[in-house]
Amino acid sequence: MLATIIVHELKNILFSPKFSVTVAVASVLLLLSVVAGIGQYRAAAAQYETTTQLVQQEMREARGWMALTNKVLRRPDPMQIFVSGVANDVGRLSGVNAFQAVKLSHSTFSDDPVYAVFRFIDLSFIVAVVFSLLAVLFTYDAVNGEKERGTLQLTFANAVPRAQYILGKFAGAWLGLVLPLLVPMLLSLLLLAVTAVPMTAEEWGRTVLLFGGAVLYVTVFVALGILLSTLTPRSSASFLYALVLWVCAVFIVPRAGTTLAGHLVPVPTVAETEARRDAFAKDRWAQYEAQMQSRWKERNAPLEGMTKEEREAYRDEKMWEWMEQDDQDRKQVQTDIDEQARRLTEELRNRRMEQERLAFTLSRLSPASSFQLAAMNLAGTDIALKTRYEDALNGYRTLFNEYKEKKAKESGNSGGFRIEVNSDTGVKIDAGRERGVLDLTGMPQFTHPSPSAAETMRSAFIDLGLLGLFSLAAFAGAFVRFLRYDVR
Amino acid sequence: MSVHTMLEAVNLSKRYEDGALAVDDVSFSVRPGEIFAMLGGNGAGKTTTINIFLNFLEPTAGEARINGIAAHRAPLEAKRHVAFVSENVMLYPTFTAVQNLDYFARLGGKTQYTADDYRRVLLRVGLQEEAHHKKLKGFSKGMRQKCGIAIAILKDAPAILLDEPTSGLDPKSGFEFMQLLGSLRDEGKAVLMSTHDIFRAKETADTIGIMRQGRLVMQRSRAGLAGEDLERLYMEHMAGVHE
Repeated sequence: MLATIIVHELKNILFSPKFSVTVAVASVLLLLSVVAGIGQYRAAAAQYETTTQLVQQEMREARGWMALTNKVLRRPDPMQIFVSGVANDVGRLSGVNAFQAVKLSHSTFSDDPVYAVFRFIDLSFIVAVVFSLLAVLFTYDAVNGEKERGTLQLTFANAVPRAQYILGKFAGAWLGLVLPLLVPMLLSLLLLAVTAVPMTAEEWGRTVLLFGGAVLYVTVFVALGILLSTLTPRSSASFLYALVLWVCAVFIVPRAGTTLAGHLVPVPTVAETEARRDAFAKDRWAQYEAQMQSRWKERNAPLEGMTKEEREAYRDEKMWEWMEQDDQDRKQVQTDIDEQARRLTEELRNRRMEQERLAFTLSRLSPASSFQLAAMNLAGTDIALKTRYEDALNGYRTLFNEYKEKKAKESGNSGGFRIEVNSDTGVKIDAGRERGVLDLTGMPQFTHPSPSAAETMRSAFIDLGLLGLFSLAAFAGAFVRFLRYDVR
Repeated sequence: MSVHTMLEAVNLSKRYEDGALAVDDVSFSVRPGEIFAMLGGNGAGKTTTINIFLNFLEPTAGEARINGIAAHRAPLEAKRHVAFVSENVMLYPTFTAVQNLDYFARLGGKTQYTADDYRRVLLRVGLQEEAHHKKLKGFSKGMRQKCGIAIAILKDAPAILLDEPTSGLDPKSGFEFMQLLGSLRDEGKAVLMSTHDIFRAKETADTIGIMRQGRLVMQRSRAGLAGEDLERLYMEHMAGVHE
């Protein structure tokens, strides 16, 4: 009996005139997104290789060890083919040297703003938007449509248990919508293999999990569509509710969650943080200057009544001690400013994390958010991508600067420059250029960060679990409602 | 209950949640090889009575029994013994006649039918062979009703419930439909039919019941109606002359 209902429901969807057109369009769209993703990945990989070689060349030709600046380019990840996430929003390049803090700049969207207007279409977008819409469009009248056709009456004029019927309806509709999703997905895997995109075993595993997440996500909308069809007696009403539900789930709730979190947990802007940092620095330097003025008064007090020679002798005697004291104080001021800057950055990051957590928690009321978050975690293009890279860059910066200082000491060149003014030869600027190219042997290499498999799975499984719960809750609702459904 | 009774309403009543009494203490029985036609105006309780037999509604009082089984107590078991044809058979428009038959035959527990069985039953109900493998979306109401009765035949149940099956059919189709019903009766099926068609009811039914405001106000056998003007009786009952 159950098999009969499942097969029938499957055929009912597959034979539907709207099915072949809509699914064909969605499948082609999905495949095209993968083809486009592969193209973008290949272009990004080529750019990465070229830029890395140019940076190496530039470094070898640097005027000295202390002037050496590295540039780290964010390595493109093959998983971006499926889920671009924040990869196009986060900068791709950062300078690494002793003078500037690391900062990723030159994002795809800042370099080519035209892409930011409509964003890229990737597999996760097509699944989140197109396939969820298909799922509700093919299920919103699963039960009430049968009632309107009179087939529900005819069905239950037979010895058909209601539980089996609703289960068969769900399973048939699920198969009818998941099979067309799996076909382009499997074809896209084939495309990856044929075009020799370098994927590690772990990335293949993540891809499979991502596809599993997509199936789970579509399952939620299949169950929701069936639930709506049991809650409303007329299919025209459930169609309207299904559209409203879909718009809310896919577009409104994720954005509303983020907006609400922004109001509930305000985060200072970068400009505000910089202003606070600058104000602190200004105050601290003013304090230092006032301290210096009173100190110089104290230092000059013993000079009262001394002859010029005695004063000079006294100053010569004390000069190094004073200089060291002043230098120490200056260093302390700088340390205080750096510490304050670090605290402000940490505070900003903590507030941001708190806001993100709340935003994600609220937006997870929508299965679309859960799917997008799971997909981004699995693809490594999640919200933490920037922090992950900047943390890794900061760690690398320390190693790189240590290497530079070590090499500068070994070469005896501090990296400064000398200006010589001679009435015969004129002005001569000596930048202290090392002879020949710099030998970069032993230079620490930047290790591109990637979240651990365990960390990824932990994050992704929360959202995949939520999708499972959504599916279960929606189906349970449909099941309970259908047990009392008026089939007349 | 007589062992020969296939369909039986015993003091059947149904009051809806809004308080309306749709069926009021109705009792009748239909034996194998008998057609019982329920006549009555709109809202008389005919369809409600059929819905109680199919357990689409629970009775407020009394029982609707199919082959001795109370439909609301053991609905799955009761439904094994009954087939149903509704007023407006829609079926699945994107499926062919044969595909529709196959699905409902399987739901009715009949999985052994062959393509030839479907062909023969469709020919028997008068559906031309060229239509057998056409999608139902192009079918007229008459053609769909024929598919509906074919489904009922395929179930091979001892009882058949029909809810205004000839409503909206042209005279020829209506005549053919009633002929078919007569042949099913001759095969021993117990048939309970609600209808507005007094002429066809008188021609085909073995027993005629008239319902008014939920009550079975008249029940007579064909022999009991001999020489009576059924149309006049009907109008009198509708007007409440005999109450």
